[in-house]
Amino acid sequence: MNDKLKYIRNFCIIAHIDHGKSTLADRLIELTGTVSKRDMQDQILDSMELEREKGITIKLAPTRLVYEYEGQEYILNLIDTPGHVDFTYEVSRSLAACEGALLLVDASQGVEAQTLANTYLALDNNLETVPVINKIDLPSARVEEVKEEIEDVIGLDAHDCPCISAKDGTNVEDVLKAIIEKIPAPKGDENAKLKCLIFDSHYDNFKGAICLIRVFDGTLKKGDKILMMQTKKVFEVTEVGIFVPSTKEVDKLCAGDVGYLAGSIKTISDVKVGDTITSFDNPIEKPLEGYKEVQPVVFCGVFPVDGAKYGELKDALDKLKLNDASLQFSPENSSALGYGFRCGFLGLLHLEIITERLEREFDLDIITTAPSVSYNVYKTNGDMLEISNPSNLPSAVEIDRIEEPMVKVNVFTPPEYVGPIMDLCQDKRGVYKNMTYLDKRRVELNYDLPLGEIIYDFFDSLKSRTHGYASFDYEFKDYERADLVRVDILLNGEKCDALSMIVHKDKAYNRGRELAERLKKIIPRQLFEVPIQACIGNKIIARETISALRKDVLAKCYGGDISRKRKLLEKQKEGKKRMRKVGSVEIPSEAFMSILKLDDEE
Amino acid sequence: MEKISIYIHIPFCERKCNYCAFVSYCLNEEKQNEYIKKLIEEISNFKINKIVQTIYIGGGTPSLLSENNIRKIFDALRKNFLIDKDAEITIEVNPNSVTEEKLKLYKDIGINRISIGVQSLNNKTLREIGRLHDKKAAIKSIKLARKYFTNISADLILGLQHEKNVVKYAKKLISLGVKHISCYMLEVHENTKLFSLIQERRYFPLQDEEVVKSYQNLVKFLKRKKFIQYEISNFAICGYESKHNINYWTFGDYKGFGASSHSYIDGYRIENASKLEEYYSGKQIKEKKNSKTEIEERIMLGLRCKYGVSIKKLSELGYDIMENPYFKDYVEKKIIYLNDDIAYLDSKYYSVSDYIIEHLI
Repeated sequence: MNDKLKYIRNFCIIAHIDHGKSTLADRLIELTGTVSKRDMQDQILDSMELEREKGITIKLAPTRLVYEYEGQEYILNLIDTPGHVDFTYEVSRSLAACEGALLLVDASQGVEAQTLANTYLALDNNLETVPVINKIDLPSARVEEVKEEIEDVIGLDAHDCPCISAKDGTNVEDVLKAIIEKIPAPKGDENAKLKCLIFDSHYDNFKGAICLIRVFDGTLKKGDKILMMQTKKVFEVTEVGIFVPSTKEVDKLCAGDVGYLAGSIKTISDVKVGDTITSFDNPIEKPLEGYKEVQPVVFCGVFPVDGAKYGELKDALDKLKLNDASLQFSPENSSALGYGFRCGFLGLLHLEIITERLEREFDLDIITTAPSVSYNVYKTNGDMLEISNPSNLPSAVEIDRIEEPMVKVNVFTPPEYVGPIMDLCQDKRGVYKNMTYLDKRRVELNYDLPLGEIIYDFFDSLKSRTHGYASFDYEFKDYERADLVRVDILLNGEKCDALSMIVHKDKAYNRGRELAERLKKIIPRQLFEVPIQACIGNKIIARETISALRKDVLAKCYGGDISRKRKLLEKQKEGKKRMRKVGSVEIPSEAFMSILKLDDEE
Repeated sequence: MEKISIYIHIPFCERKCNYCAFVSYCLNEEKQNEYIKKLIEEISNFKINKIVQTIYIGGGTPSLLSENNIRKIFDALRKNFLIDKDAEITIEVNPNSVTEEKLKLYKDIGINRISIGVQSLNNKTLREIGRLHDKKAAIKSIKLARKYFTNISADLILGLQHEKNVVKYAKKLISLGVKHISCYMLEVHENTKLFSLIQERRYFPLQDEEVVKSYQNLVKFLKRKKFIQYEISNFAICGYESKHNINYWTFGDYKGFGASSHSYIDGYRIENASKLEEYYSGKQIKEKKNSKTEIEERIMLGLRCKYGVSIKKLSELGYDIMENPYFKDYVEKKIIYLNDDIAYLDSKYYSVSDYIIEHLI
């Protein structure tokens, strides 16, 4: 190993949400800032602003820290990771570019469900995992107990781990020391054939697609001809650089380095995150082990409010997919909502983030339908269909059986909430598996649950029933047969496909009734009475009626003040813009998400 | 010669009514004289080569005007404008401030139509909304007016507390010889006394459903009495429709004088400032009509009255309303009907006309 490599550390921070990851990252950047604290901070802010303008997310933005330890300068590459369960896949992308991980644990909260999931991920990736206990300044900090938890629950040695307060800066230097002492230096040979991993990418209007890379072997510089091993595309490198944390061009990137490359890559799909880059003239034989393609588990329809913006929506989704390979979408046509896309997401949070980015960064007005999972539908003729859009479910006579995705759920909770959580899981058709008392204050509960139930409102219910003290995580288990039916909604006798849902037979009546009631509240009165019916097949299971609008008139046209009245009408019309006409009925766009909120009304 | 209508705003009241959001002030005689002086200046400085078809003195309370002041206004009008000999000339009066002398005077200076602010014939209701007259005064003023005028209009308000049945008032008005009834649904504006009373739960106007019901009963009754509903809120015996109002709704030119008055001349909508100081300094808001606003206004005004809206005119302005899916739907459902080139809203749907019009503009 050459000397240079000895002084590089590539690491990430894994933590449960709210355990202080961003604060620690800020503190590390600040502590290692060589010139002045102020410049460094300004730089961070600037780069984030720039990123926001370009519509790049801030997650996964790597930062190169320079730190002098025992007279020697070290380069510490921090690769940020998202903390949520939906993004397990993203975490694994980051992990593959590192040799080590900091496991950040809140000194008062202790080990949480996601801490555990991410730690296992790190261990699976053979990363050296260094526990760090944060928030020791809190009065409720219980440092020794949390150390024990880490040792008992996770099995990591925590006796001499850094105990810090990222907020006030206490002991943060210990973290830097631990990174250097405990995380191994990268291995690799800068003279060997080029081998790089693309762990992220984004699009720059001037430079084309930018690949965020970790170099494992060889050297990469401007003018090199490179080969993307999976997409088989060849590019000439126009720029290589590092993150400080804004981009900074350098002469070359060598084995062990983390940085970026640009190569006038105009087509977004030519860059595949997880792909291996090698030299076109002197390629390696076998690519790095890429990422496994993640399968989306939550699906919903996304439609432009203004039907004419279909093309813009497509462009936006294309751009988002560039640095979010997990986002999937395909065109969909709804009789109620027109042309749009059925999108697949890693989870509800992912769905929320993407839809919010579409609205904020791309300035699109969109309607999203209620989320669904993907069902395996076996037909009597032996065919199997994967159905993620309820309206595509074949008629009952054609169906032999339906299987739904099941997940293993881990819940960590203080013991007093075990009862309410069990009730909740029971209510969501959960199958009890196991319960472990970790210590006096924490219980781990294991259930198997249908994913379809989780995406309704499991997380919100869990939070409200445990006052936010429980955390949960889940992983895919398998597909299991279930007695499922489709509930359709008829508005004024016409089916509104965007409101159909697949639910368990035992719950169909309640869900149908609740949805009809909710729609009655959301849909404003129209010129005619509008019956709302919920049905299974031809059988009506619930009915509500929106009575006809009685009064909508401003009787007086004041003197000759015509403009005032016109402006009033214009204003009222503006409010109607988010309405969709389904058959003869006008529906506000939020109605389509209302299926989700059903259980609020309990 | 082209035609024009004139509106004159008299922003004085003895007392502001509880529901009123109009521009009006309690002014002493000196202040009134000052206003009239400015008003006459404005009239005299305006030159136009059009013949006056209608004049409307509105307010406020024009019946508060002194004999001297009203004569001055009419002198100025006659000096400055060519007024058609058959012009409709209306003045708004309040039952409590109109007197026989004033009515004689109105007749003398050429006024031929009286609009009386009756609002209700229930004393409790009249007190609650802050009117200064009672039932007796209202009836007396109509009888007096009838001595000198045949063309008499009365206003009623729909939706006031406990006033589910206004048919009985209409019946009384008709028996007294009223030829035209305007009935406006109560609109509660912020910054009115009524608004605060409702907020404090001390006043309870009728619910929407009840208002519409009372409106529909009134419409039915007036129809039986041979009153034509020529606009959402206006009813008249044939030949007694207000020409002045029709002119507003059919895109005729009109010129307003006085604070907060509106004009529509040669494609410009002009609004005088409503604060007296600003009005005196000549402040105005001027807006050139464009095809978008004209389309919207034509639809809005046309569908609110029995005169309808010309589809050809809309298409000349660049809007093919026949292509609007809502329009098609409404025609199919016979909510809107077509006669040659004119589209009309079925009067059954007047009470939800805003809802319909919003889909079409």
